[in-house]
Amino acid sequence: MVAFRSTDASGRTSGLLLRCVLYCLLALGLIIFDKRYDHLGEIRRYLSVVAYPVQLAVSSPFQGWDWFRESVSSRETLRADKATLEAELRLANFRLQRYEALEAESQRLRALRENTAGIANRFVIGNIMDLDIDAFRERVLVDKGARDGVFVGQAVLDAGGVFGQVARVGELTSEVILVSDGTHAIPVQVNRNGLRTIAVGTGDMTKLKLPYLSTSADVIAGDLLVTSGLGGGFPAGYPVGTITEVKRDPAQSLAEVEVRPAAALDRSREVMFVWLTPESPAASSAPPPASAPAPASASPPGRRAATAPAQQTGAPKK
Amino acid sequence: MMRDEAVRRLPMALSALVALALAVMPLPAAVDAFRPDFLVLVVFYWSIESPRAGGLALAFFSGLALDVIRGVVLGQHALALTLMAAWATHLRLRLRVFSVVSQSLTIFALLTGYQFVLFWIDGATGNPVTAFSRWLAPVIGALIWPLLAGLMSRVDDR
Repeated sequence: MVAFRSTDASGRTSGLLLRCVLYCLLALGLIIFDKRYDHLGEIRRYLSVVAYPVQLAVSSPFQGWDWFRESVSSRETLRADKATLEAELRLANFRLQRYEALEAESQRLRALRENTAGIANRFVIGNIMDLDIDAFRERVLVDKGARDGVFVGQAVLDAGGVFGQVARVGELTSEVILVSDGTHAIPVQVNRNGLRTIAVGTGDMTKLKLPYLSTSADVIAGDLLVTSGLGGGFPAGYPVGTITEVKRDPAQSLAEVEVRPAAALDRSREVMFVWLTPESPAASSAPPPASAPAPASASPPGRRAATAPAQQTGAPKK
Repeated sequence: MMRDEAVRRLPMALSALVALALAVMPLPAAVDAFRPDFLVLVVFYWSIESPRAGGLALAFFSGLALDVIRGVVLGQHALALTLMAAWATHLRLRLRVFSVVSQSLTIFALLTGYQFVLFWIDGATGNPVTAFSRWLAPVIGALIWPLLAGLMSRVDDR
């Protein structure tokens, strides 16, 4: 039995009910103001600064351990790492050789078609903080915030592909919602044939799904999905994932398609924030990139229902 | 008496900070679902142990801290925690004479109530989390309650 020190055996707590009601009203007021009127964004930004020391205190020992392990790693490991990295760099350079020419060609073609898909023009690298924000939502905290120009709805990439988008911005930190979160959806395109659809998260970091493809849609396992750039939230042409499984049940009108995300959602330590420029000549008078992408583009959390049906699926592009 | 309350503020705030750190500490994904709500248990402990030293204020501000860190609608954890801390304060005289099993069962009821308020506000604000695993936290919390309360009262007596 747990021994409590009976400091007030009298049992009277004056006005417990009154204080409880007061605090509850205060909390309810906060909820309503935050949800309905969205007035608390500024307050929250500064509150997040107060929370920063706690977050830093929790995550720094883990980062310190990583640093320690790195600094005592053996000469052999370092040499092996160096060899791998050199090989990767060589490969990347080979691939880059034609990049300039292709980029110019792509811009000419886009201009011809007056395509307004945004082009990524500025990157900032952020470190993922070692924190579990919420066990039931796929979100991470990154150490770049409003001070670095990060904005809500901004696209976030990692070395493999699309990582997610910014859900909330604090002064020093920002919260990124992963593409695999159950409330996240992103407009994509099958690289092989240009088929456009929407990839939706499942709540499982190793899986996305394409719920809006008909059973007759031309997709096969192994197809690469890239961002279509529709809606303007994400830059076009970045890998989102690879189709792993297509289930076609003749009794159903829609196929069940599973996708493995291209980004290392559970392993990345660094991510890139992307700023877009609207690139077509017609859009050159558009506002500066920081405010340009419409927040409704790739459905911020909670708005999926509003945006998803608005996009047509299954129509192969000529 | 007044002086006594002033002294208690420090251990209260310190234990709440430690619990907050434990609540966001990175854990392997497999263990993550089994993480108890440490901060909630600490708030319950203080509500039962010394309700006059401001258990409700502690509950409200701890909840607010959770809201900011978890990035949910502001006031969600604050409301749930305040309600349940008030209930714990109301029950405290009975809780003190309960056996360990009865105490744990009461704590389980309080933790379930806490999760239910969170669940309800999640739904009302349009981000429902229907994963069954969210109802695991009350079970784990009730199981570790005797350990945690014993440890805290041991440290507190020093």
